[in-house]
Amino acid sequence: MDIKTCYEALGGDYDDVIGRLRNEKLVQKFVLKFPDDGNFENLKNALQEKKTEEAFRAAHTIKGMCQNLSFDKLAKSSSALTETLRSGDLEGALKLFGGVEDDYYCTVRAIGEYKKSIEL
Amino acid sequence: MKKEKILIVDDSEMNRSILADMLVDEFDTEEAENGAVAVDMLKKRAEEYSLILLDIVMPELDGFGVLEAMNSNNWIESLPVIMISAETQSSQIERAYNLGASDFIMRPFDASIVHRRVVNTVLLYAKQKKLINIIDEQVYEKEQNSNLMVDILSHIVEFRNGESGLHIRHVRAFTDFLLRCLNKKTGNYNLTDSEIGVISMASALHDIGKISIDEHILNKPGKLTDEEYAVMKRHSLIGATMLEGLEGQNDNPLVKTAYEICRWHHERYDGRGYPDGLKGDDIPISAQIVALADVYDALTSERVYKKPIPHEEAVKMIAEGKCGAFNPLLIECLTENADKIRSAVNADVAKKQMRATVKNFADAVLHSKSQGASERTLRLLDYERMKYNFFAAMTQEVQFEYVAATDTITFSPYGAQRLGIEENLILSKNKDKLDNLLGADWLEKLSKKFMETTPENPEFKGDCKVKIGGDTKWYTVIIRTIWSDDAPPAIEGAIGKMIDMTESHTKIGELTEKALHDPLTGLWNRSGSREQIESRIRNFPANKYAIAVFDIDFFKNANDTYGHLFGDRVLKEVSSRVLHSTRAYDICARIGGDEFLIFLEYKTDIQPIVARIFSQLNGKIENFDLHVSMGAVEMTDEKQTYDELFHKADLALYYSKQSGRNQYNIYNGSMEDVLLDSDISEILTPVESKEEDKE
Repeated sequence: MDIKTCYEALGGDYDDVIGRLRNEKLVQKFVLKFPDDGNFENLKNALQEKKTEEAFRAAHTIKGMCQNLSFDKLAKSSSALTETLRSGDLEGALKLFGGVEDDYYCTVRAIGEYKKSIEL
Repeated sequence: MKKEKILIVDDSEMNRSILADMLVDEFDTEEAENGAVAVDMLKKRAEEYSLILLDIVMPELDGFGVLEAMNSNNWIESLPVIMISAETQSSQIERAYNLGASDFIMRPFDASIVHRRVVNTVLLYAKQKKLINIIDEQVYEKEQNSNLMVDILSHIVEFRNGESGLHIRHVRAFTDFLLRCLNKKTGNYNLTDSEIGVISMASALHDIGKISIDEHILNKPGKLTDEEYAVMKRHSLIGATMLEGLEGQNDNPLVKTAYEICRWHHERYDGRGYPDGLKGDDIPISAQIVALADVYDALTSERVYKKPIPHEEAVKMIAEGKCGAFNPLLIECLTENADKIRSAVNADVAKKQMRATVKNFADAVLHSKSQGASERTLRLLDYERMKYNFFAAMTQEVQFEYVAATDTITFSPYGAQRLGIEENLILSKNKDKLDNLLGADWLEKLSKKFMETTPENPEFKGDCKVKIGGDTKWYTVIIRTIWSDDAPPAIEGAIGKMIDMTESHTKIGELTEKALHDPLTGLWNRSGSREQIESRIRNFPANKYAIAVFDIDFFKNANDTYGHLFGDRVLKEVSSRVLHSTRAYDICARIGGDEFLIFLEYKTDIQPIVARIFSQLNGKIENFDLHVSMGAVEMTDEKQTYDELFHKADLALYYSKQSGRNQYNIYNGSMEDVLLDSDISEILTPVESKEEDKE
């Protein structure tokens, strides 16, 4: 599996990211790092504990990373979640979270397969 | 060059990492994971950073919090901030700009845009800093110049008054201090910093009118008569008129203020002063304050006619209205700040001195950067070059310098002449020439050693043979490599010298020769022959050796009868006969006045050899009958020392003398017995003292 295929699988735009970061090695490095980031866990915990503000920051950070990496699908869903949290609508956020969670695991799974393929 | 340092503040490690990777080639980066950490880092070393990349949404302290901290600490003026955020709400952007952010970069990042914006902002701020410095320096210099002119002018007046130079300074510091107190106390006057500066400076001119007052009146020790006092009082109006006469300068704030001060610093608040009898706040505040300062300093300073009055008492006297009438507000300022005034007045004197030092330092720093300075640097360089050339010419050393960038080796003029090559050589194009001169092998060794040097151990040394013309010379070469400041350091070139060892070798050789030879005959002397003999025995112990020693019979008579010059001739003749009758590898020496030694190698029998030499030493030199007494000894055992041999040969010689001179004898054990019968003291007379006898 090459990185382009990985991007297709996770619903991202490879051409966009390579256009901005200009370096495939860099893109690869950051993509592989993405699953290690703790913000998704933070988001989940904050929502469970109903800490809107913390949840907002975590969602915001996830959105930012996704934008930087052109993970368009996750960026879109986490962006919507961020705005809902910003307005303080915890109920609405909990409804949106399911979609974000799906996109997140889809992204992490695709990266996991890509990682396996380059390690072979 | 040192890289500029950039602080990246973002709570996502990945975002920080992406930014750091975009900038790593040109900048040093440091990272902070939230606003609180960033502010902490700035508190420690804000001046180290050239730029901050700042996220907005972060835990602990967000980007706005960082901007606020930067404002309250005044960092924002010199440290540019670029916001990085996915925020698109214009209110957020507006807020960041209002807090002093320089620029905004939207996520997702584009590498080239991030890079370009960062570089531009860093450059812009660097340029701005430079411009601010230049303006600061120029304003400061201008202010210094006018200060200086005012100082000179007021000094002239003071000098004529016979006052100490401190009066003006005290008045000035007092004025400055009281104006600030007044400003704090009331908004009535609302003086700006620059107005205070102008009044303080102008205060120095308050007495310039005294320049046209008769010196006798000015410096009269006693009380002035009414007439004299009337003349004295004119100084305030005269000063004002002088300033009024400055064409085209009437609008200048300094001139205007100085005019007020000159004219009205002897007015009284109650209207009883001179020259115009102004009352209350009709008197400009500048003149009011200088009047007070003038009185205060007059009280507390020593004068010809009075002792200084202590500070507390002076304040009390003024407050009680004993020294004139002043604005009650000013009296309040004075009494309320009485305890601070004295130190303020004195501190200003100290501050002035410090400022002078600061200025000198600033000049030095400034000059080391701008053209004025580069001239000085060039001069220093010229001087160093002249010095270097002089010493290079003096030392008789071949000096050289290698510059890697141009692959050029440059020899000192002496060096080039000595080696018979050009002063400047491009190494790669002149390999043949250098191979011929130094030998290809040696050059290879040299370049190996060269590459082995490090910035810590940049020197090495080696000896080499140099072919110059037809001669071969020995040189010691010392080389020091020069390294750049880069990391890692690279070789920029080398300097070195070649010292001609051939000459010093020959010189040492010549000196050694001299020390071991007899200057008259050219034969070895005593210590020289001993050294040679011992080394010969040591190196070739298997050979058969013999030593013969002889005296010239009745040499003392030759000296006495024909003079010392003739004696010298005899000695030279004898030594030439010795050399004739021996072989080149025999060792011949004059070991005392007329005492000679011959060290011989032989195969079978020593007797015929000694006999031959003995016979060749007989003859006539003018009227002097030359014959000798000789003793010889064979070396029978390699363990025999020179001393033993010499002693035995000397015994045989003595035996010959005892037996009537003009003969030779070869040592045998029986001689010892004969000699036992003789006067022991005569035998044991050391050769050295015999020498003295004979010369």
